[in-house]
Amino acid sequence: MAGAIIENMSTKKLCIVGGILLIFQVIAFLVGGLIAPSPTTAVPYVSVKCIDVRKNHHKTKWLIPWGPNQCEKIRDLDEAMSRQIEANDIVFAVHIPLPTKEMSPWFQFILVILQLDIAFKKNNEIKENAEITLDVSLAYRDDLFSEWKEMAHAVETRKLKCTFASPKTKEHEGRHYDCDVLPFMEIGTVAHKFYLINIRLPVNERKLINVGIGEIRDVRLVGIHQNGGFTKVWFAMKTFLTPSIFIIMVWYWRRITMMTRAPVLLEKVIFALGISMTFINIPVEWFSIGFDWTWMLLFGDIRQGIFYAMLLSFWIIFCGEHMMDQNERNRLSGYWKQVGPIAVGAFCLFIFDMCERGVQLKNPFYSIWTTDVGTELAMAFIIVAGICLCLYFLFLCFMVFQVFRNISGKQSSLPAMSKARRLHYEGLIFRFKFLMLITLACAAMTIIFFIVSQVTEGHWKWGDFEVQVNSAFFTGIYGMWNLYVFALMFLYAPSHKNYGEDQSNGDVGVSSGEALQLTTTITHVDGPTEVYKLSRKEAQE
Amino acid sequence: QDFHNVTVRLGLWLNRGGRVLLAVSLWGSLALGQQYTSLGSQPILCGSIPGLVPKQLRFCRNYIEIMPSVAEGVKLGIQECQHQFRGRRWNCTTIDDSLAIFGPVLDKATRESAFVHAIASAGVAFAVTRSCAEGTSTICGCDSHHKGPPGDGWKWGGCSEDADFGVLVSREFADARENRPDARSAMNRHNNEAGRTTILDHMHLKCKCHGLSGSCEVKTCWWAQPDFRAIGDYLKDKYDSASEMVVEKHRESRGWVETLRAKYALFKPPTERDLVYYENSPNFCEPNPETGSFGTRDRMCNVTSHGIDGCDLLCCGRGHNTRTEKRKEKCHCIFHWCCYVSCQECVRIYDVHTCK
Repeated sequence: MAGAIIENMSTKKLCIVGGILLIFQVIAFLVGGLIAPSPTTAVPYVSVKCIDVRKNHHKTKWLIPWGPNQCEKIRDLDEAMSRQIEANDIVFAVHIPLPTKEMSPWFQFILVILQLDIAFKKNNEIKENAEITLDVSLAYRDDLFSEWKEMAHAVETRKLKCTFASPKTKEHEGRHYDCDVLPFMEIGTVAHKFYLINIRLPVNERKLINVGIGEIRDVRLVGIHQNGGFTKVWFAMKTFLTPSIFIIMVWYWRRITMMTRAPVLLEKVIFALGISMTFINIPVEWFSIGFDWTWMLLFGDIRQGIFYAMLLSFWIIFCGEHMMDQNERNRLSGYWKQVGPIAVGAFCLFIFDMCERGVQLKNPFYSIWTTDVGTELAMAFIIVAGICLCLYFLFLCFMVFQVFRNISGKQSSLPAMSKARRLHYEGLIFRFKFLMLITLACAAMTIIFFIVSQVTEGHWKWGDFEVQVNSAFFTGIYGMWNLYVFALMFLYAPSHKNYGEDQSNGDVGVSSGEALQLTTTITHVDGPTEVYKLSRKEAQE
Repeated sequence: QDFHNVTVRLGLWLNRGGRVLLAVSLWGSLALGQQYTSLGSQPILCGSIPGLVPKQLRFCRNYIEIMPSVAEGVKLGIQECQHQFRGRRWNCTTIDDSLAIFGPVLDKATRESAFVHAIASAGVAFAVTRSCAEGTSTICGCDSHHKGPPGDGWKWGGCSEDADFGVLVSREFADARENRPDARSAMNRHNNEAGRTTILDHMHLKCKCHGLSGSCEVKTCWWAQPDFRAIGDYLKDKYDSASEMVVEKHRESRGWVETLRAKYALFKPPTERDLVYYENSPNFCEPNPETGSFGTRDRMCNVTSHGIDGCDLLCCGRGHNTRTEKRKEKCHCIFHWCCYVSCQECVRIYDVHTCK
């Protein structure tokens, strides 16, 4: 890959391109910060304690916490105690959403987490490693009057991780334990307007089910969904970005195929990066508005994963191809040491995601973290992925260091070289430094924004003027990596100009022959096809 | 109307299982305490609640849906008060076991009044917030502060109920009668606000990461209400460190206005989180119908404790009686998470100490 556009572009033009990209970047941030609402909403729910008054529970009956046909309620469990209501007859009912609201497909997903309010009682403490067994069912309906239809039913166990801050004495009875929130449910599409969750805590003394779990006062749920407004802005952005990246990708590939030589590895990798970016961009999520495709969440994860893996591989290969040593690379197999960890890490995360979100397609209440084996397995996958990532960054840093070392070595010997050779190396160095600079800038932006969005409150307010920092982070960073890929494909596409042509004084003859010779030994044949060259010459005349 | 005789009066309904509807005027003087019984199925009649000022009546009629939570909140506050003061000379006693009427204790601008006001207004904010999360009332915060057709704001930007609405209700309702320019109103307003501020301060942020493979790339946070006991503990601390004030009179365009100023310039002036009072508490040792003190006679005391619940202090130096009591008790219990305890019965012998 010699003679990319970036080398032959005048500084003025480069500045113009940079300026345009910067404008788009600012727009991307502003779209998120000013137009979009915050990305997600969390709605806290407190379950209503209903009594299932029927004699036998053969047929499932849905207990509704409020509205018409609401269930018979009890205020607290002392009341149940005095009325001798059995545990199996108590149903914790939660209606999603709250009254006067309805859910919408634009919400994309619902994630529900569970929080238990457990009061400390001297003679009814939570046992060590206590597990709570929940008999949960989920139903939906699309208007306020039709029957509830079952969506899922499962018996799930969750580990209680509770601490009690005060000394465990009589005086502190009634105080609540501090319990970790538990994963409860995740659904990948919101195809219905109303959802109903019924939770039972069945007791079976013989099998030690729900024994020693303390005095549960309340079951709270928190429902998290993506905001409709954010989804719309996001879709709009994707819909706009898809053709932009796609067009530049086609243009890029056309340039490469126009050359006499076969495309080199780096060109292929940049093209692959473009493909994976387009793959993320294609707004297939539009279908989730009309169809009940629960796998969309998983699919989104996979697409993101592919892009990240591609981006990381690209950095490695880019460094490798600019190494300026005499080694012949240009083959993917030459990078197995560095790309290997990426593949392994990505694969681990893929397996982990399949185990979590994949199984959730079948059973929305499933979570890999609830069992010991599952937790260990999940941790193993994540740790392996983490090690791979560390390994990768070590390799990357080492390679960058090597490149810089070679650059400084070459720079000292540059004046002594012939012009074509010097230009070739200067081009390589410039290309590398330029990418290094924008990559670092992008990575730094990502990290800074990530930290800012983690530590701040999510939105900044000046009077009536409100900026959604979190949304700006998502749209801005997403836009940024799109622009990055765009710029990469545009600036690193093979140039039609020759090195010589840059020297304006008609000094063409300096030795395109020598340049050709050199590049074949060092990297590869550059330049456009002869036909193209001729037609260009003609045009110039 | 005697301003000092009536403090805050909230309607308290205890609607239990549709059996009895008990409407009691809260924090009123003894004379105004009335009990109503009627069928539980009947809707709440705002007019039948004694002691509501017109503003409260209007509020009650407009927001009839959340009135049960308001009542529940008051009850919660009083229960917490009784828990916090269980071993003390004044133990947040209410007359008639109906949780509602304190008698004349609250007529004076004492620490006790300050605490009861704070905990009850906190209780209202707490209970209303909770009922909003239960979905039992439909007029909670989200709809009111979003413009446009109903539901659109929710679909575009979402909205989650937090404590703001509960605090708003508490402010509207409990402060409704505290609009006079006198010192007592100022004190009540301050203490009510302190209770509500405590609720807001104790909300804690909980977060969940749910990005790619569960990473924190996407993180969503929400405000969770604390255990009400934590509110009680905090306000109890504030009771112990309450600031004594003096009343100052100013001449303003609308007439004389009474304001409060910290009595001791040496101490830090009270913040909005501190409780304030300007009259000293009676010692609550002897019964006194004027102050509302029931005295500590026949109260059980702890003979081993040197604290306020110990026999020396609680009995005000009058000494105590000791008797031995045999009690049948449940023991070796096996608990289920709910509703069912299997126990054996044991007989235990206790020494019971009561104040002379």
